[in-house]
Amino acid sequence: MSQAITAAPEITLGRTDYGLILQQVSFEYAGVRILEDVHLAIPAGQFVCLLGPSGCGKTTLLRLIAGLETPAAGAITSHGESVTGPSLERGVVFQDYSLFPWMSLRENVSLAIAKARPAMTQAERQIQAEEYLQLVGLQDAWRKYPGELSGGMQQRGAIARTLALGSPVLLMDEPFGALDPVNRVKLQDLLLAIWSGSERKKTVVFVTHDVEEAIYLGDRIIMLGAAPGRIIDDITVDFPRPRARHALLDSREFQALRGRVAAKFHEDLIRRLEAETAIHGVAEGI
Amino acid sequence: MNVSESKVIPVSAPLPAKAAARVAPGTQPATALVLRILRGREGWLFLAGLLLLWQLASTHLHLSSKYLFPTPWVTLRALWVSLPELLKGTVSSFIILVPAYLLAVFAGIAWGLLVGTTPALHRMFAAFARLASPVPPTVYIPYAIALLPTFRTAAGFVVFIGVFWPVFLNTTSGAAALPQRYRDNARILGLKKGEYLWRIVFPAALPHIFSGMNVGLVFSFIMLTVAELFGASAGLGRFVQYYADYADYPRMVAGILYTGLVVLLAIELLERLKKRALFWVK
Ligand SMILES: Nc1ncnc2c1ncn2[C@@H]1O[C@H](COP(=O)(O)OP(=O)(O)OP(=O)(O)O)[C@@H](O)[C@H]1O
Ligand SMILES: [Mg+2]
Repeated sequence: MSQAITAAPEITLGRTDYGLILQQVSFEYAGVRILEDVHLAIPAGQFVCLLGPSGCGKTTLLRLIAGLETPAAGAITSHGESVTGPSLERGVVFQDYSLFPWMSLRENVSLAIAKARPAMTQAERQIQAEEYLQLVGLQDAWRKYPGELSGGMQQRGAIARTLALGSPVLLMDEPFGALDPVNRVKLQDLLLAIWSGSERKKTVVFVTHDVEEAIYLGDRIIMLGAAPGRIIDDITVDFPRPRARHALLDSREFQALRGRVAAKFHEDLIRRLEAETAIHGVAEGI
Repeated sequence: MNVSESKVIPVSAPLPAKAAARVAPGTQPATALVLRILRGREGWLFLAGLLLLWQLASTHLHLSSKYLFPTPWVTLRALWVSLPELLKGTVSSFIILVPAYLLAVFAGIAWGLLVGTTPALHRMFAAFARLASPVPPTVYIPYAIALLPTFRTAAGFVVFIGVFWPVFLNTTSGAAALPQRYRDNARILGLKKGEYLWRIVFPAALPHIFSGMNVGLVFSFIMLTVAELFGASAGLGRFVQYYADYADYPRMVAGILYTGLVVLLAIELLERLKKRALFWVK
């Protein structure tokens, strides 16, 4: 069920059977260390969930993988190629689901299609854009502009846009955070269908705060600790697929997994609190 | 608080809507009715008051010759009889103003978008812009008239300068203020520079661009009418200057009023355009 924390250090950068390889990646914002020594090899087609407390660096890690930021130390490869900047190979759903507000939903999605499949005519693009919007349940809203939509609808629009890119790697930052339970369940299953349905399974890195979501969706859960962000646990989730949601949530294995995640969080929290007390202790001494 | 408020505010002071509503029940029904009718039309009330003041001043204040200070009625008649001439002047002015304005808006936006998104270009151009943009374009007028072949090109040039800077500066700051998340999205989608400027930076900067165009519009009329004082044979500024020289003050005042009206219309037109273009702004 679980494996060692250090994620296979023998795996070398550039292996093409791995979707993503991060080797000793560190990152700083203005001299403050945000991520430290993140070492992670993700086989192609694996669904990885990223769990961690707020501010621990999940978004930052995703931005690094996307190529929007450059590591301070270490290196990242995607399907064997070094990541030096953003690429259509890696689609991103941002945490703040930033659709362009001056474009209608359909224009937003069709812009992504135009970039991913430049040979298509405008009419074909629009039809396909509507199909992607239908996937996320927005078929009636294609004319609307982001400002006219609820947060959850905007988030679904952003998901449709990223899915439309058809990238082999999907980086998703709390994509279902603003959704109501019904749409959340629908989109989880949609994502699983798209992930396993394509001829070559996509590699997914999925950030969430929801432990149940992580266990239901993922092949593997990477837990990040805070200050600085680093991997504190690497859990393999080997429930057979397709997973039956209710049976899974009731199972003893599920409860055990959830207990393990909670214990790890607690451990990290205690460690940080102790570190803070130590600092205060020193300060009182002065 | 309530009591002291209604006591302290003098009747003539503009009442905030809430206070007016609170006062209304206590006052005569007729007064309340008048107050209700007037709400939202205060601007017209002020204009009417101004007109009345003008009328009284021109008939009762024998400060100077009545020719120098015509009554509203005399001015209106002057406006009516000079309407054909004013319309011809408008055409003559617009032949210079419209192309120069459009060209300056186009150049200001294009160059502003490029400079705002290209740090090296920004560093190169910023010092010059800081130096050149605050120079009031009116100072170029005599030189432009001397330098350029016709009065029209000279006036057009000055209008261009007057419009270019506000549009350029606003576009640049709008482009530079592009929220990070739009930039990230554009990078993820792999937009090329041209597409990026046209489909992302330009619409995102539109609110800034419109305020530049608005300032530029007012400037363009100032530049043009001032330029026309120097050497035009027709035009709105020329009209006012001409009748001032011949001491035909009713026509001169009519010309001023008419020019104000034209500028007002132009601004209103731009405002409509802005509303349409920025429908997505919340
Ligand atoms: N642009 C930035 N400049 C400076 N510091 C930043 C910047 N962006 C993020 N940080 C810092 O980096 C740390 C990690 O931020 P990040 O957004 O990756 O957290 P997160 O794990 O995604 O949190 P959340 O769950 O709340 O989304 C935080 O302490 C944050 O303050
Ligand atoms: Mg985040």
